[in-house]
Amino acid sequence: MSDYLVDLGANRTARNLVRTLGLPLPLPQKLERGKGPLSARPVEGKTVWVGLVGAADATVQAALAASIPALGASVALLGPGFDPQPWNEAGEGFGRPVDRKDLPADDDKGHALVFDATGARTVADLKALYNLGHNSVRKLARCARIVVVGRPPESMGTPAEVAVQRSLTGFAKALAKELGAKGITSNVLEVAVGAEDRLGGPLAFLLSKRSAFVTGQTLAVDARVDGTPGAWSARPLDGKVALVTGAARGIGKATAKRLAEEGAKVLVLDRPADAGPLGEVARSVGGVAVAADITDDGAAAAILEAAGEGGLDIVVHNAGVTRDKTLGRMDDARWDLVMAVNLQAIFTIEAALAEAGAVNRGGRTIVMSSIAGIAGNMGQSNYAASKAALVGWVDAMGAERASEGIGVNAIAPGFIETRLTDAIPVATREGARRLSALSQGGMPVDIAEAVVFLASNAALGVTGRTLRVCGGNFIGA
Amino acid sequence: MPVSIHSKPGRRAVIVAGSRTPFHRAFSKLLKLDAVDLGAAAVKGLLDNTGLDKSEVDSIVWGGVILPSSGPNVGRELGLQLGLPPSIEAMTVTRACASGLQAVTLAAAAIERGEADVVIAGGGDSTSNAEVKMGQRFVHAFAPVALGKRMGPSDWMNVASQLMPISEVLPQQPKVAERSTGELMGEAAEKMAKRNGITRESQDQLAVASHRKAVAAMEAGHLGPEICPVELPNGDLVSTDGLLRPDTSVEKLARLRPVFDRKNGSLTAGNSTALTDGAGAVLLMSEEKAKALGYTPLAAFRSWSYVGVDPADQLLIAPAIAMPRALERAGMELSDIDLVDMHEAFAAQVLCVLQALASDGWARHRLDRDRAVGEVDMARFNVLGGSLALGHPFAATGARMVTTMARHLHRTGMQTALLGICAAGGLGAAAVLEAV
Repeated sequence: MSDYLVDLGANRTARNLVRTLGLPLPLPQKLERGKGPLSARPVEGKTVWVGLVGAADATVQAALAASIPALGASVALLGPGFDPQPWNEAGEGFGRPVDRKDLPADDDKGHALVFDATGARTVADLKALYNLGHNSVRKLARCARIVVVGRPPESMGTPAEVAVQRSLTGFAKALAKELGAKGITSNVLEVAVGAEDRLGGPLAFLLSKRSAFVTGQTLAVDARVDGTPGAWSARPLDGKVALVTGAARGIGKATAKRLAEEGAKVLVLDRPADAGPLGEVARSVGGVAVAADITDDGAAAAILEAAGEGGLDIVVHNAGVTRDKTLGRMDDARWDLVMAVNLQAIFTIEAALAEAGAVNRGGRTIVMSSIAGIAGNMGQSNYAASKAALVGWVDAMGAERASEGIGVNAIAPGFIETRLTDAIPVATREGARRLSALSQGGMPVDIAEAVVFLASNAALGVTGRTLRVCGGNFIGA
Repeated sequence: MPVSIHSKPGRRAVIVAGSRTPFHRAFSKLLKLDAVDLGAAAVKGLLDNTGLDKSEVDSIVWGGVILPSSGPNVGRELGLQLGLPPSIEAMTVTRACASGLQAVTLAAAAIERGEADVVIAGGGDSTSNAEVKMGQRFVHAFAPVALGKRMGPSDWMNVASQLMPISEVLPQQPKVAERSTGELMGEAAEKMAKRNGITRESQDQLAVASHRKAVAAMEAGHLGPEICPVELPNGDLVSTDGLLRPDTSVEKLARLRPVFDRKNGSLTAGNSTALTDGAGAVLLMSEEKAKALGYTPLAAFRSWSYVGVDPADQLLIAPAIAMPRALERAGMELSDIDLVDMHEAFAAQVLCVLQALASDGWARHRLDRDRAVGEVDMARFNVLGGSLALGHPFAATGARMVTTMARHLHRTGMQTALLGICAAGGLGAAAVLEAV
């Protein structure tokens, strides 16, 4: 589960040698990842540049001003058009006076570049993307962050305005690819009118080290889920009860650990055959082991019993299987098992939880989709169908449960270094790793961090979405 | 809800008198006196000045930061050392630099709850007598010896083998550092100065003003009566403070080199408080008792507030939250306050807090207020000097401030004083005193 090129690149001598000899080896940047529980100020002492694209929208500006200095960052406002008042106030509130300058100075180093492009309406407005970006991107530190804040294109008035907003996604994805070798991520947040007060959470996640493997993505923020927005905080899951299926190893295990670190009591579920490792996970996270096969009729009852009267706040449907064969060669059993585990079991358990009213108000449901579900994959017609189904399912469920205050989202992992991917033949594995903006595979913890984000109140504005945690994988992007 | 005199009609605790030892730089004149000796001297001074019948005292509430491990209940030890009646019970509290104020407000609370009628409260520290500790590794290695095990050569070899590297077993010098972050307090203040744009010049000006006002107050005889002479083991009497510099000036301070960040820093020995030895004591009574015993009350607490912030962020900013809270609990605004008295840990820290109080942004983001608490009128600020000039024996400072402000209110006929103290661990303390 280690990537030799990342290790090589982290060694200064080796890196210089490869460069000097002109070897045709990509040297991916070793990603900076957060350690342990979330910090209240994930960008403590870092410099965040903020630029305007188009006219300033007061509500968006107020939301950005209320969140970025509170995360511990020193803000520099680049270029004209700002109303400095909300920024100055936030700077005073958090003891980080806001700087103003036209462009970064030659010796400046930025940790993040945030474009507020919610006011972009015309082609001329977009020129600011060029001006600010052109003069800043080479001054960004390794593993820096670019976040473009826009509006959902479909909410725009004229086709030209729709187009202008849609251009932001192409711009951000291109930067993800251009700057991925430095570990820099680039993403878009599309904030709906009226959801500005929910922007801070997703922005904090994207600016933090927790989103190290999320790049080239567009995440929509809306006000559909009933609830009260709150500030980014440490231990966001205190007092919550979480269920994680498929928790004996890999992504599920990493997820259970991270949820527990943020204060959740975690019910870890896996097949009775994996009761040994499952028990170890339960012990290490101070949780409860539920040994059950999610395709069994009794699984839902076992979950309800373990949850008890307090119910569940977070449900992570992580368990999944692959049974690869090209369709012509695939036997019934392969098709049936994949559908039973990856899809039908989720439907059955969700129905039982809903009937029992077991998911509390403010709850969060997270399912694991896959890049294979988005792009399709050779030999995975069964798997791809089941994972694509989940993209549709969260879309529908997100809308359905919003009024109950419940958010429903999917995560689509790209190439993640696990026991399963270790078993892939070397050449295929190498291809899968390198065909991404960050030129490397992700770690199980990258998925776990995305789960923690989606499980917390920071993601109040996110529902019905599929978040790719794929390092900017070229497939299906 | 509000811990305020107005929320609990009934008994009121009043401040009757206060007394403190002279304050001296650590490792100077008071070197031979430990925290118990200094506390005993302050309490003795208080009893001598007031002529109080010792049998009237119900309890002693003492504060300390560097507690002697041989007798951490300093309040009890000093009572026994003074030969006070053993029936006067005592406790010792610690809340870093707010320990002294904590002791005094605890005493007021006990009186107002009806638990006591007469309480001596205060605090003190002897930084000169901070214990130099052997590293835990050294202690653990020698555990078999300490436990009286019969030691053979191999046991001694075993002990010796655990004593490397040598740097980890040498005695550890005590320092004013945060346990959670490892940061020295001065480094934290330096960081705050940089973040909030506090200049070296403004710090030096505040320090000079502190010295000028303290010297003037001393010359006018306002502070002298609070100071009781202390007898040293050799029989010498120390009766005046040792840190005041009547001849200091902005030009002189400007020549000092930064201490905590030698290259780009702005905090110097001149605009930071010195490590100090000293103690202060306050006599509190229920209003009825004071009347019955024929004492004139000086002031009473209208409210107080203790708060905490993340020490990894701005370690010493918490008074900018505690002071508005205390005002709110007193049902007052800053404009209702006649005197503002703040502990000056570092000039930079005071200026950061004053800047926050004057900021609408601070009010909106940190206090749930629409408007700034207000600009503190410097003509009402630390009118008799502050810790920069007088010194700061950690737990004595709260008692000193309460004494000085209570006496000043009484002497001038002014009505209210707002106190603010920053403390290690990201703590902040504040209180509103009103004339009686």
